[in-house]
Amino acid sequence: MRTIVFREIKDHIQSLQFVVLLLFSVVLFAANGIVFARKFQAENAAYSAAAAQFAPNTQHLFLARQPNPILFLAEGGDLGRPTSYYMMAKGYFSASAPRPRDYKLPDIPKLDWSFIVKTIFSLYVVLLGYAAVCGEKEQGTLRLVLSNPVGRVRFLAAKYAAILATALIPLAVGCIISLGILGVSLPQILTWGLASRVLALLALGVAYLSFFAFLSLLVSSVLRRSSLALLCLLAAWVLFAVLIPDTSGILAEKFAKVQSDYDAAKSIGPMIEKEVWAKIGALQPRIDKGELKTEEAIKAEADKAFEEGQEKVRFFEKSYEDSLAQRAALARSLARISPVALFQYAAEDLAGSGAHREEAFREDLRAYSRQFDAYVLKKNGKLVGQSNWSFSTTVKLAGKDVEIRSPRAEPYRGDMSDFPRLVERAALLGGGLKNAFGDISGLLLWNIVMAFLAFAVFLRADVR
Amino acid sequence: MIGVIYKREILDHLKSAKFLIGFGLTLAIAVAATIINTQDYGRRLQDYRAAQRDLERNKFEVQIFRPPEVLSVLVQGKDRSLGNTASVNYLNIPDRLTGYMSEQSTPRPKSLSGFGSVDFAFLVRVIFSLLVIFLAYDTVAEEKQSGTLMLVLANALPRSSLLVGKAAAGLTVVLGSFAAAAAVAVLIMMVHPAVDLSGADAARILSLVAASALYLTVFYMLSLLVSTVVKRPAIALMVLLQLWIFLVVVYPNLGVSIAENFYKLPTNREMAEKKVAAFASYGDELKKVQAAHFGGDRSTSNGMRYLELQSLRSRLWNDVDRELSLRLSGQLERARWISILSPAALFNRVVERYARTDIEEYDRFLASVERYWKTKYMDLQVLFYKDLPAYRKAATPPFDHPAEGTSEAWAAAAPQIVVLALLALIFFAAASTAFLRKDVR
Repeated sequence: MRTIVFREIKDHIQSLQFVVLLLFSVVLFAANGIVFARKFQAENAAYSAAAAQFAPNTQHLFLARQPNPILFLAEGGDLGRPTSYYMMAKGYFSASAPRPRDYKLPDIPKLDWSFIVKTIFSLYVVLLGYAAVCGEKEQGTLRLVLSNPVGRVRFLAAKYAAILATALIPLAVGCIISLGILGVSLPQILTWGLASRVLALLALGVAYLSFFAFLSLLVSSVLRRSSLALLCLLAAWVLFAVLIPDTSGILAEKFAKVQSDYDAAKSIGPMIEKEVWAKIGALQPRIDKGELKTEEAIKAEADKAFEEGQEKVRFFEKSYEDSLAQRAALARSLARISPVALFQYAAEDLAGSGAHREEAFREDLRAYSRQFDAYVLKKNGKLVGQSNWSFSTTVKLAGKDVEIRSPRAEPYRGDMSDFPRLVERAALLGGGLKNAFGDISGLLLWNIVMAFLAFAVFLRADVR
Repeated sequence: MIGVIYKREILDHLKSAKFLIGFGLTLAIAVAATIINTQDYGRRLQDYRAAQRDLERNKFEVQIFRPPEVLSVLVQGKDRSLGNTASVNYLNIPDRLTGYMSEQSTPRPKSLSGFGSVDFAFLVRVIFSLLVIFLAYDTVAEEKQSGTLMLVLANALPRSSLLVGKAAAGLTVVLGSFAAAAAVAVLIMMVHPAVDLSGADAARILSLVAASALYLTVFYMLSLLVSTVVKRPAIALMVLLQLWIFLVVVYPNLGVSIAENFYKLPTNREMAEKKVAAFASYGDELKKVQAAHFGGDRSTSNGMRYLELQSLRSRLWNDVDRELSLRLSGQLERARWISILSPAALFNRVVERYARTDIEEYDRFLASVERYWKTKYMDLQVLFYKDLPAYRKAATPPFDHPAEGTSEAWAAAAPQIVVLALLALIFFAAASTAFLRKDVR
């Protein structure tokens, strides 16, 4: 078996596919190192500047998000998310700057390790493996090989091992180049933690490429002509790598029954009208009836009406956001039919990016918001919820104009040395593995199914 | 003689398993993608119409909505991702569109990272180009390997006739199957109640189809060249697949990646500082006028000055925003120059232009918003201070965005079409020369 493996690896290494894959690997991983080192340096400089300028304030805060230095493994959409948020009491958040800034460029996947493995390496595993069985059959060598005392299982296992081993050579070279460039630019990221993540991601990459190796052996065993086998394999690759993940988002929009963003926007307008402005408008008749007799009572009632109205709108916005998150989760679930999506999401979890990380960050923000509210309540004695709409009007009390306006959070002038700071929980590898458990299991299941089919078909194949 | 070769080659292609599998697959994807995208377009159009219908005519804050492009069903481009609403008031000239909920982009991209969209342009760019390679890689190499090339040329058949006959037959099959998939996609679009195609849209669809045919011709000629130069069909296929991966997957993405990372853009902080500096000399006056205005001074002169200063600030800030927009266009232009020899990048640019889903259309829309602000909208605001009764009677001026003419789109996409045509011609000329000089033994 060892002889077959070495001979196969030697053959693969001499092939055009291998040379080009090695070339692509060197270029793409080098580009990955350069690009992500520059991005992290820029984002980290902006974060440090924002953190240095952080000023405790009981009215509102600017919160900068800590950049993730290992996005080069799997970016997971993080570079498209806001880097800073504007925060006010009672959980009001808004992104302070839209992203991406370079929105005019075509939308392309980021050049992270997961993209290189997911797209380029999987394609090359197919190109290395499509002729493994049918190529030998076409040349008539399969019959000759199997006339020797070589079991079919051993023969196919050797082919499989050779395909994977050949693909892993350029992968290892590329990873070393990328890490080398990153290590020179950002020596602080070279830690044991990173090493364990890199190893975990490489193991995941092997499991992913293994699926395509088994798929290639299966198709190569079923079909007689290698060109047809390659066509079918490329069709399968397009299906798994492009069609299933790319259509899942739009399908989720169809099935998730979430309000369109127009319908949501349409609901909010009348809600503000009914819940906020109508209550404010009802103050004058109540004053005329004598229900509100003093200026203080009117202002207190206006504050209460405004706050109650805002509460309903906030609840609606939160429900809408939750339903969007559920729709996104549905899209991811639909995409998980494909091993490519399983690999992508597992890689994001291992790199501490993507949907799970975003949810964890939002939880951190919510926890901080509660701390902030408690602090403001302690210092100011009251908590005023604000939003991006406000009002100012006058009502008449005994012929005199009384100005009422939306309540504003008050600044605290005293000592704020105990002001709470936002603490982002570190994305630990253990947590990432836990989140990725389902995806990794799915990927292994795909492997088992493909391996079983490939061996079953080859054991029964007519090798003449 | 060419006719005989042409007929035989076509029959061979049509009977081959690779054609049947490839064509079946492309047709299935064309049908599925068009159905999904047409329904999506229908939903977006419904939202747009509802937004227009429910729009509250607020003379101070005018909402402008961008309709979805009907041809985004075939070429999604930027149509879905860059927002559809502009909120116009005298304090601000919008430099970007938002979603209906004022978010900066539609919610969908949040759900999936690392994946794109499937539309007819994707089908042509990726799947059909692969199919072309599979149909053409063995055109000459297979005959050479099996020894039939020598036998064919032993007859009184000029080499040029053989190559032209084979190329014509291959192209007929490729373009015929493409035309069938395109016809099915357009038919699906037409039967959907939300889709209403005008004469200009039909001309644009035909242009799209023609550009796609040219793109596929480039790949066919490239395949013919490799098949002529390389001796064994298996090697020809491998070489072509490496070229395909480079030209379709790696090269266009690298171009964008280089432009994204090595093109200096002003930071948010620099932009904010520029805006502050641009209006710094008027800041005190605005404060004074504003204090008088809200303090009860309702004189026409103070009101007009207040409006002039606010308007001036909006214009100056808009100049800073436009500067960034121009820098972003420069960044895009650099990406395009780097990818100038990628047929896939050229093709994308052409079809997005024809479908009006490119970034230039987005910029044109924003230019219309700016024009509206500077003319109709501000004229109305001036009336508020000069003649209040007339202001109250006046209707909110309608927003107008003139559609780009088809001839303008043709002119804009002409350079890319020329490069694609040149690539096809160069590959064919090289294939012909190589075939005429080929050792057929």
